[in-house]
Amino acid sequence: MIYLKDIRKSFNQQPVLKGINLKVGKGEVVAILGPSGSGKTTLLRCLNFLDKPDEGIVQVGDVQVKTKKATKREILSLRRQSAMVFQHYNLFAHKTVLENVMEGLIVTKKYKKTDAKRESELMLKKVGLEDKHHHYPSQLSGGQQQRVGIARALALNPQVILFDEPTSALDPELVGEVLSVIKTIAQEGITMVIVTHEMSFAREVSDRVLFMDGGVIVEEGSPLEIFNAPKEERTRQFLNRISRDIPIPYLEEKAN
Amino acid sequence: MGKSFDPSLIVNFVPTLIHYLGVTLQILAASVSLGMILGITAAILRVFRIPILNQFVILYISFIRGTPILIQLFLVFYGLPAILLFINIDISRMEALYFVIITYALSNGAHFAEIFRGAIKAVDHGQTEAAYSVGMNNGQSFRRIVLPQAIRIAFPNIANAIIGSLKDTSLAFTIGVMDMMGRGETLIAATAHGLEVYLSLSIIYYAVVLLFEKIFRLYENRINRHQAVNVSAAG
Ligand SMILES: Nc1ncnc2c1ncn2[C@@H]1O[C@H](COP(=O)(O)OP(=O)(O)OP(=O)(O)O)[C@@H](O)[C@H]1O
Ligand SMILES: [Mg+2]
Repeated sequence: MIYLKDIRKSFNQQPVLKGINLKVGKGEVVAILGPSGSGKTTLLRCLNFLDKPDEGIVQVGDVQVKTKKATKREILSLRRQSAMVFQHYNLFAHKTVLENVMEGLIVTKKYKKTDAKRESELMLKKVGLEDKHHHYPSQLSGGQQQRVGIARALALNPQVILFDEPTSALDPELVGEVLSVIKTIAQEGITMVIVTHEMSFAREVSDRVLFMDGGVIVEEGSPLEIFNAPKEERTRQFLNRISRDIPIPYLEEKAN
Repeated sequence: MGKSFDPSLIVNFVPTLIHYLGVTLQILAASVSLGMILGITAAILRVFRIPILNQFVILYISFIRGTPILIQLFLVFYGLPAILLFINIDISRMEALYFVIITYALSNGAHFAEIFRGAIKAVDHGQTEAAYSVGMNNGQSFRRIVLPQAIRIAFPNIANAIIGSLKDTSLAFTIGVMDMMGRGETLIAATAHGLEVYLSLSIIYYAVVLLFEKIFRLYENRINRHQAVNVSAAG
């Protein structure tokens, strides 16, 4: 479903991705962990060419793009294979909730308005926002905005959904509602790549975990392998540092 | 020198002058509409840094901003026919009104371009990325996502520029256009009551500006009814 070969990317001569190889199968849910600045966001953005890699091959669904020869048309069709959920939601501020979800269907999938509306209403129901159709993004809480973002991505029925820290801009009490929506759609067999700092969520939702540091994938494995028996020192250090931040009651609850 | 001040004349002058408000508004409407097209085009050339045209637009804007409109008016009035004569087009008989409209359109275009450019940049880039991520191309995301929001952001400044332009039209008489101001000049010549004429003119201009401000404010409230305009998503 996703195939990356030797993806390299630098910003101002500073290498950020140093040769990423990755395969993700259909229906697989992959979580990407790693310290700040390790290149997680950049990797995700290379998957839909929001950042253009300097080198390598990107394939999503059945569209393959060789970076060096990428044409506008290829990039457009690559982008139409995936959908993205952004850290800061990036909803269209001048459009209502319903219009936000319909927009992609109408403009890029050429749906008739009534079909787009029906489909979008379905998606909004799925994320629990059936009563907010005519609200504008600025009238919603962060958690609600992010659920609109998820509905907008889902509506496109993409091969893959990319999530970049979907909950890290949210107040703690709003994180749960968003994670539970993501968990629900993960169970529907949609291929997903999720960058997250929510360790217990990553463990629960993913089939495979990648640990990135310094622009490379340091280690990958099942959640059990990565969280319980990391092989690499860097992974261990990272997980130790993160778990120290987790409040004690939470750990106790997990232990039971 | 004028005759002694007689405020009661104002009652007579205002209706006479208001008769010519139509000409003023005609100049304004034509130059604002043309200026809008010019301004949005120029802003797009600037924002997307279209080679050569971009440099040309920079020069155009800086020239308009750097020279008095009165001089621009004379440059167009005397210069345009001279230039066009080179390619055998004779517009020396064209009505002065059109030279005024051309000048004010050029001037408005430059000011609108700067306002639109700022407004386009003020639209959170994340929304453009979201548009790309749902599969839109550059044109679609600009037209459907960026432009509508940029217009809303630009609106208050555009409204101010239009009001400024309304007042600037009072220079049209210098090349012989018979607008309110032009009629005022003939009234002064005929009656020698300059102060009363200028007071009458200021009453009319002031009333029209207040009316415009009111209309713009109502419209602004209407388009912003539901939403903060330049929200950058997070919240
Ligand atoms: N557009 C850009 N221009 C210049 N440098 C950039 C740009 N985007 C990212 N970088 C740099 O690339 C590196 C990796 O950034 P990236 O956003 O991919 O990290 P990340 O793993 O997502 O971090 P975080 O957990 O903080 O989100 C950082 O050093 C960052 O400063
Ligand atoms: Mg990031």
